[in-house]
Amino acid sequence: MYKIESKNVNLHYGSFHALKGINMAIEKNTVTALIGPSGCGKSTFLRLFNRMNDLIDGVKIEGECLIDGKDIYSKSIKIDDLRKRVGMVFQKPNPFPKSVFENVAYGLRVNGITHKNFIEERVEVCLKQAALWDEVKDKLKKSAMALSGGQQQRLCIARALAIEPSVLLMDEPASALDPISTAKIEELIYDLKNLYTIIIVTHNMQQAGRVSDSTAFFYLGELVEFDSTKKIFTNPTDVRTQNYITGRFG
Amino acid sequence: MSHLNIELQDLRSNILEMFELVQTQLTKSKESFLQLDKDLAREVVINEKRVNGFELKIDRDCENIIALFNPVAIDLRFVLACMKINSNLERIGDIAESVAKFVINFKLEPEKELLETSRVIEMFDTCIEIMNTTARSFAEEDTKLARSIFKLDETVDEINIEANDKIAAFIRTHADRINQSLYTISMIRKLERVGDQCKNIAEETIFYIEAKVLKHKSQK
Amino acid sequence: MQSDLKKILSQSIAFWTFRILSLAVMGILFSILGFIIVKGIGVVSWDFITKMPEDGMTKGGIYPAIIGTLCLIAGSMLFAFPIGVMSGIYIFEYTKDSWYRRFVQLMTANLAGVPSIVFGLFGMALFVNKLGFGDSILAGSLTLGLLALPVVIRTTEEALKAIDNSYREASYALGATKLQTIKRVTLPMALPNIITGLILSIGRVSGETAPILFTVAAYFLPKLPTSVFDQVMALPYHLYVISTSGTNIAESRGMAYGTAVILILIVLILNIIANIIRRFLTKKYKTN
Repeated sequence: MYKIESKNVNLHYGSFHALKGINMAIEKNTVTALIGPSGCGKSTFLRLFNRMNDLIDGVKIEGECLIDGKDIYSKSIKIDDLRKRVGMVFQKPNPFPKSVFENVAYGLRVNGITHKNFIEERVEVCLKQAALWDEVKDKLKKSAMALSGGQQQRLCIARALAIEPSVLLMDEPASALDPISTAKIEELIYDLKNLYTIIIVTHNMQQAGRVSDSTAFFYLGELVEFDSTKKIFTNPTDVRTQNYITGRFG
Repeated sequence: MSHLNIELQDLRSNILEMFELVQTQLTKSKESFLQLDKDLAREVVINEKRVNGFELKIDRDCENIIALFNPVAIDLRFVLACMKINSNLERIGDIAESVAKFVINFKLEPEKELLETSRVIEMFDTCIEIMNTTARSFAEEDTKLARSIFKLDETVDEINIEANDKIAAFIRTHADRINQSLYTISMIRKLERVGDQCKNIAEETIFYIEAKVLKHKSQK
Repeated sequence: MQSDLKKILSQSIAFWTFRILSLAVMGILFSILGFIIVKGIGVVSWDFITKMPEDGMTKGGIYPAIIGTLCLIAGSMLFAFPIGVMSGIYIFEYTKDSWYRRFVQLMTANLAGVPSIVFGLFGMALFVNKLGFGDSILAGSLTLGLLALPVVIRTTEEALKAIDNSYREASYALGATKLQTIKRVTLPMALPNIITGLILSIGRVSGETAPILFTVAAYFLPKLPTSVFDQVMALPYHLYVISTSGTNIAESRGMAYGTAVILILIVLILNIIANIIRRFLTKKYKTN
């Protein structure tokens, strides 16, 4: 069984047809990169899987989105429960204006967990997973805003991991960071795939190459090509994919 | 260790494995020649397919690393060097194979005298030594060792140049051994190429470690 | 060369115009303050702010008016702040961007445009007569609260709008509900800017005369209130009374300026306190 599947998904924003019949199947514990020019639908597609699109007015979704074989848009799925299973990291580092500790604990607290020792344990585990523990262990009570951009983004990753999701969605997680921090995030993604199934939207082709196992190229709301990253980057089938990754677009 | 480093480590160990494979091929072709062991020679010919397959795999790995990781500086030089070393090794594999094919087609055991005057066994041994040294210099990133190969190659060249006169003299005295003599000289010609290929490998090793281009230069 | 000179010239003319204009604004402010302080500082003393008025308000202090004004500020803020913030949250976080939201926003803006004397009349009709609070702190505070409401609503909305949506999304993505998100993320982040709105409305409320005219203010009442149903004196009304319809206007002229100084000081001190709170919160919830 695939971890994540989309079957003939169509999405409309009002009269705008943003996703056109997307079929994709993603294996467990892999990193899938979504690439394509701005406005091609890759972020919209990513946000299908934690139902972030629901927040936008006038969105209509058809087709099936499955996680672990279950349709996440069915009536029996509670949206808060879904979001606990699917973590998300955003483009700009957006830690809450709270302490480092409280940022990671946030997801646990809003889900009603009050057990102090458990929360402390989870915070430590997640900060370690996000390769941040050594840098922040002495300033857990300090404001997260005092961290550097790269550290903030890793904190956001730790925050997403705290609620033990099995899927991690990343929307251009390194686009606002300097090269060193970017490299750290990429290493982290590479390490995290042992534990999570990751989908990452990126504008940076090299990043897709470095971190992902599979790559999906979106263009004008269509999924043009979905294949192993090696295949896409050395011998793409569709000429549009080739033009995009070689920078000959337009 | 970073993802790219892991890939580069894999590439390095694949190249080392390729070295080993080709070294074995060369050693076995020498054995088959000395003992006129046609079975062993056939084994070398069959194994050549593995060498070729391995060459393709390494080529693909290099292509992927360049396409996916866009290596720069020493990493880029390393991948480029590996691609060339890979094809040099494959050629050495070819040479070992064609030696083995000669052995398969040989009718007679080579004359001891011929072997001695033509120094073909010494040629074999030197080539294998050069191979070992090349492999070691690559494995240990030892450019000093790599530079010593240029010296060793001179022995090979010397045997190759002398071989003409020596074999000609041999033919004059042993008119009935012309066939054998011709086989021997073409063997020497082939082995001379092993030295050249190793020289190229050494140049690539130095290129990626020191970023110095030694190709087409007399002073190394 | 010619055009360079022209550019430099027009540049400096514009620059000096702007500079002179802004200096003029500051000049006006300082001359008003200076005028009042020079005229009023003479009467300001410890007795002036702690004593009851005497002799037809020509002597003694303005103690009950100060207390009255503070009561009214506190009362109106207790009313306007929670209701205003909650309305702001409702409008921004719970309504969609539709005709309904725009209608509510338009009505809020209209409320802000209503003349304060109309608020006074409305307060009298509703709180004093209809609800039977009488002329009281309660009626006056509610009336002033209504006056301050649009400012609080507006600034709450603006403060919420200024928060990057990704913070809300991050909270939702962790399984938080809308209410949890508002309580734990959005509202704390918006608080510094909401406090700014509070400062503005305190300034407005403390100086208003018309809304308290018919709802709370006493002409002369030399005692302190004991409950929210008592009448009180208030600084702006007191100022108005002693400078227009007092028993001896000429005698109490100095008192009037002194009262103005105290009123300005109260607003200033409250502003400073609110600013300190705002700074503290901004530091705590600062985002990059």
